[in-house]
Amino acid sequence: MPFPLQTRLPRAFRIAGCLLLGLVPLQAAAAPAELRICASEIEAPYSYKDGSGFENRIAEVVAAQMGRKATFVWSPRAAIYLVRDALDKNECDVVMGLDTGDERVLTTRPYYRAGYVLVTRADRELEIGSWSDPRLAAMGSIAMGFASSAEAMMKKIGKYEDNANYVYSLVDFKSRRNQYLRVDPARMVNEVAQGKADAAIAFAPEVARYVKASTIPLHMQTVPADDTGAGEPIPFQFDQSMAVRKGDQALLDALNDALVKAAPQIRKVLGDEGIPFIPAAS
Amino acid sequence: MRKVLLSATALATAIASTLALANDKLVQLSQSEENWVMTGKNYNANNYSKATQINEKNVKQLRPAWTFSTGVLNGHEGTPLVVNGTMYIHSPFPNLTFALDLDNPTRIKWMDKPKQNAAARAVACCDVVNRGLAYWPGDGKVPPLIFKTQLDGHIVALDATTGAVHWKLENSDIRVGSTLTIAPYVVKDYVIVGSSGAELGVRGYLTAYDVKTGEQKWRAYATGPDDELRLAKDFNSANPHYGQFGLGLKTWEGDAWKIGGGTNWGWYAFDPGTNLIYFGSGNPAPWNETMRPGDNKWTMTIWGRNVDNGEARFGYQKTPHDEWDYAGVNVMMLSEQTDKAGKKRKLLTHPDRNGIIYTLDRENGDLVSADKLDDTVNWVKSVDLKTGLPLRDPEFATRMDHNGRDICPSAMGYHNQGHDSYNPEKQTFFLGINHICMDWEPFMLPYRAGQFFVGATLNMYPGPKGDRQNYEGLGQIKAYNAITGEYKWDKMERFAVWGGTLATAGNLVFYGTLDGFIKARHADTGDLLWKFKLPSGVIGHPMTYTHKGTQYVAIFYGVGGWPGIGLVQDLEDPTAGLGAVGAFKKLANYTQMGGGIMVFSLDGKGPYDDLSLGEYASN
Repeated sequence: MPFPLQTRLPRAFRIAGCLLLGLVPLQAAAAPAELRICASEIEAPYSYKDGSGFENRIAEVVAAQMGRKATFVWSPRAAIYLVRDALDKNECDVVMGLDTGDERVLTTRPYYRAGYVLVTRADRELEIGSWSDPRLAAMGSIAMGFASSAEAMMKKIGKYEDNANYVYSLVDFKSRRNQYLRVDPARMVNEVAQGKADAAIAFAPEVARYVKASTIPLHMQTVPADDTGAGEPIPFQFDQSMAVRKGDQALLDALNDALVKAAPQIRKVLGDEGIPFIPAAS
Repeated sequence: MRKVLLSATALATAIASTLALANDKLVQLSQSEENWVMTGKNYNANNYSKATQINEKNVKQLRPAWTFSTGVLNGHEGTPLVVNGTMYIHSPFPNLTFALDLDNPTRIKWMDKPKQNAAARAVACCDVVNRGLAYWPGDGKVPPLIFKTQLDGHIVALDATTGAVHWKLENSDIRVGSTLTIAPYVVKDYVIVGSSGAELGVRGYLTAYDVKTGEQKWRAYATGPDDELRLAKDFNSANPHYGQFGLGLKTWEGDAWKIGGGTNWGWYAFDPGTNLIYFGSGNPAPWNETMRPGDNKWTMTIWGRNVDNGEARFGYQKTPHDEWDYAGVNVMMLSEQTDKAGKKRKLLTHPDRNGIIYTLDRENGDLVSADKLDDTVNWVKSVDLKTGLPLRDPEFATRMDHNGRDICPSAMGYHNQGHDSYNPEKQTFFLGINHICMDWEPFMLPYRAGQFFVGATLNMYPGPKGDRQNYEGLGQIKAYNAITGEYKWDKMERFAVWGGTLATAGNLVFYGTLDGFIKARHADTGDLLWKFKLPSGVIGHPMTYTHKGTQYVAIFYGVGGWPGIGLVQDLEDPTAGLGAVGAFKKLANYTQMGGGIMVFSLDGKGPYDDLSLGEYASN
């Protein structure tokens, strides 16, 4: 059975080849290769199931530069699980927005850099220049995410413990014991706008959209560098990369090429989002 | 003898005579087999009744006499109270209270239906249970009072005769994650109440309020500076190796003690002779041990505190630097026994979550014995009675980067909130045991901007003596002697014996099971003598009282609590409910939700033997 097929194959190929020559450009336009993006349905503003996340848009821009179509492989779980539960299981090929150099994956050259910001109500006219600023010390409740640079810094300046109950209120006092809980960034910003929090400290890309959209004017400033002089300085700025599985070098190279070409468009998406621009570290 | 001790205490502390009288009155009430005035029956908290009308010979004739539904479908922990012919019944959230006249339980005498902040439901970790009520007998000016706690953190004093609210105050703020599930405890003219919410970084405390006014008398914390811990000047002077001063700060990193946990939501005991109340503080927070280096004192501690000022005479930390959530709040049972050296001693016996049953000299905190609740306990090889320290087996630790397999007991403990019993005639403790082990798989997921999530997946399943294929054999019932360390008998149960036991002089031990039986066993042999299938599973403990010459046994039914969380909330992920959903996945095959009490007597003898009782009578 395989034998006759083999003998016929060259002829069949020749015929197919003739047809293909003429059809290739048309086929590419109709159904370009896809770029499978691992994406969370619930990680707004980075990623959201309707595609409205700013990283969803960046993924589309980069895929277009590669001549491919971005196909989102959606996960109902938080983005923190994407590498373990989707990328490593070959369900998709690219994860957006990991720290450059994440050891679990291969990361592209950074496509943007961003930092932590302090969000306050504009009418309070606060500009904090140091972590030892007494106005910071006087704050009663500060919204922030768990296990973030903000949390580490609060521990360093002795404000974490007294503020912990407030932060837990932002997740309705659910236990983090064996479930991942994310403090909703929209809620953090709203707490500041409503005067329930004196400030929010968060990664700029996570809150910029909500700060921009707030009907109550808010002030968003870069947090001061760690000026405590104690221990290892806590980093507040991070390069963000796309990531592929270890060993997927060809895709990594293709993404790196596309990122160079897509840079102006990415800049525009980030600008629309309201994320303060920080030049890459290198 | 007790009377002499009592009046000596009253003189020494120079407290108004009415105060001591009220205390006397409660002691007297507790000695009558017609009453069950506090959760543990008496200040010894031994759940032991001298009544013998129901005994090993006739117990098989027990039949229902009457029943009452609370109308609430969550887990019913604890036990009702009976005082002077009235039964007081509590329920889980929304925390209803009912008073029933035992002469004629037909018409509800009074009920209290509090309005509560529904947000409390979201904060409660493990079902919305409540562990019971407390009674204060009145002093002539202020009427007898019933005390209750509400899930939303309030403690309420109700007029025991009318149900009217006498006072109400907030003890725990649900806005900071703190709820109340504990049964309040009355000693003299104080009502004592603990706190919940260690998982959420609440710093545990114990508070005494004036029964008449609600005025706060003292508050003692489990962590922090010595003055807030309320350590007596001679704290642990008998056992300085337990640790003495400054440790509530020094055994924590930085200010971590401020959110260090150590809440207490279990049971209390009191000795009018030592004037100390005894209780345990719970687990440290946060749960991940790598985030809180140090011994984390004084979480996981057996305390003896002066009831008049809260000052601690001793504190013994059972599990320094907990890694398993072995919250040490379990029952404290008091006894007077002759130790191995032939010396008569006042003892305190405490079956801990960590799988060790500790017996201490309750006058000074000396460690008398520390035995395994089952030979399958493996995180600890033994407890050094000289130093008080557990000798750990590192294979069963739960640190980061270490997959802990087959750790016994599980986070639920070999013993949890069940209120057990002690028969002083037989020098035997009757223990309801969980036979559950766990895998603890930590994992860390890095994310953007330097964030990372440290978590652990908990899987729970029957211990080595259970049926791991079919997820049954999750519990045991045992008879234990604290002096010899021997178990007179033990029996396996299909599910955890979660609620505790009742011992009677009728040579019996009673208990309820999660699959919905109330059982009676022979106190000497453990032989099963009687059982009855209840409308729903049991997580409370039975009690007994005599009314008009008839002895009754009463028990709450209503499955739920931590073991029933999957059934109550219809959960399927085996790791949900901190692993309880997986361990008890077969429970729903045996029972469904319910809530109420059943009252039994020999041949069902009771108030309705008089057929006219409760009948409509036209004029």
